[in-house]
Amino acid sequence: MTAADDHNDDVALAGEYALHLLDAEERRAFEGRLNNESALRVLVSEWDAHFVSLSDETALVTPPAIVKARIEDALFPQPVKARSGFSFWRAFMGAGFAAALGLAVLVALPPANVPDPFTPSFTAELAAEDQSLVVFARFAPDAGILRIDRQSGEARSGRVLELWLIAEGATAPVSLGVLPADSETDIMLPAVLIDAIAGGTLAISDEPIGGSTTGAPTGDVLAAGVVISI
Amino acid sequence: MTTRNDVENMIAQVGLGDRAAFSSLYDATSAKLFGVCLRILNDRAEAEDVLQEAFVRIWQKSNTYAANGYSPMTWLITLTRNLAIDKLRARKAGSVDIDEVYDLADSGPTPEAAAVASSERGQIDGCLNELEPERAGAVRDAYLEGHSYNELAAKYGVPLNTMRTWLRRSLAKLKDCLTR
Repeated sequence: MTAADDHNDDVALAGEYALHLLDAEERRAFEGRLNNESALRVLVSEWDAHFVSLSDETALVTPPAIVKARIEDALFPQPVKARSGFSFWRAFMGAGFAAALGLAVLVALPPANVPDPFTPSFTAELAAEDQSLVVFARFAPDAGILRIDRQSGEARSGRVLELWLIAEGATAPVSLGVLPADSETDIMLPAVLIDAIAGGTLAISDEPIGGSTTGAPTGDVLAAGVVISI
Repeated sequence: MTTRNDVENMIAQVGLGDRAAFSSLYDATSAKLFGVCLRILNDRAEAEDVLQEAFVRIWQKSNTYAANGYSPMTWLITLTRNLAIDKLRARKAGSVDIDEVYDLADSGPTPEAAAVASSERGQIDGCLNELEPERAGAVRDAYLEGHSYNELAAKYGVPLNTMRTWLRRSLAKLKDCLTR
């Protein structure tokens, strides 16, 4: 094989790599070469730059706002703050030995004696005007748990109920997710949303299966209620 | 309207640990990147997971961006697309049956439709148009849908080795055309 053949082979191989067509073993071997061969890196970057214009035809789809909240929560964890509803347990949970302590308590005590960590300090009633959908929400900021209790009503056939939070002063709702068929469910809120609950409004909209695809409610808002402090 | 320079500046600021710039970068680019994930994965929950992973990587790797020679959107889209395809391959590693492959084939654009070029779409379109429509379609499907050689072979009804030979020849022709 001549040097020119080798080069042509590398051109195609770099293209296959850029398209992600190599199998796992070939891919690893190629990446090993990439670390050492700058000419190969140039070939790949040229393919990437050419192929990327194919994605001009890919539709823009706004992701649900909760995704940004999750990303920021993962990258920039919020410091633990003393909130209203400060609990005895909270003082321990911030400490490094929290996990060990928690385990010790669970092991030492029969389950009946373990206190329920759900201590709500906010509540909201979401009701449709004709009471066809009534949902109680309670929120325990220490645990970050929003407990949803659907008293009446259900999703329309072939549709789902999606829960939204409109923070006080916010211009756009944030999706808290699609409600499951169970009438009672707990939703873990990311830390960035915990402080947004107080004074906010919770709302439920009618959405296609899988939830809104636009990041904002697309169907009728069926019920809404303001969050109040207990 | 966010320009290429804006995105480049945001990435540079993110590389310095600027959270406000990270937020702006997300707002400016997440719809594009989410669209890329959705197209490849066809599953909202998985696409959201990959978008999250992509932005975590962007935060972590943006300080090395200036040295990599990529234009800003090429870097962001390539990084995101690679994560989406990793996810796609991991999902399918366990259980690819032939029905699934054919379902995927049915959902793709026809080669004719895929070959309709938009004049704004850079050099690659012109060069893809110089290939036979099916071979150009295979390159597009590999890029846009994240199809593997197995899926491409099933979709175009040729043996796996033939598909690989086709595609490598197509790449060589594309390269000739792109460097003309």
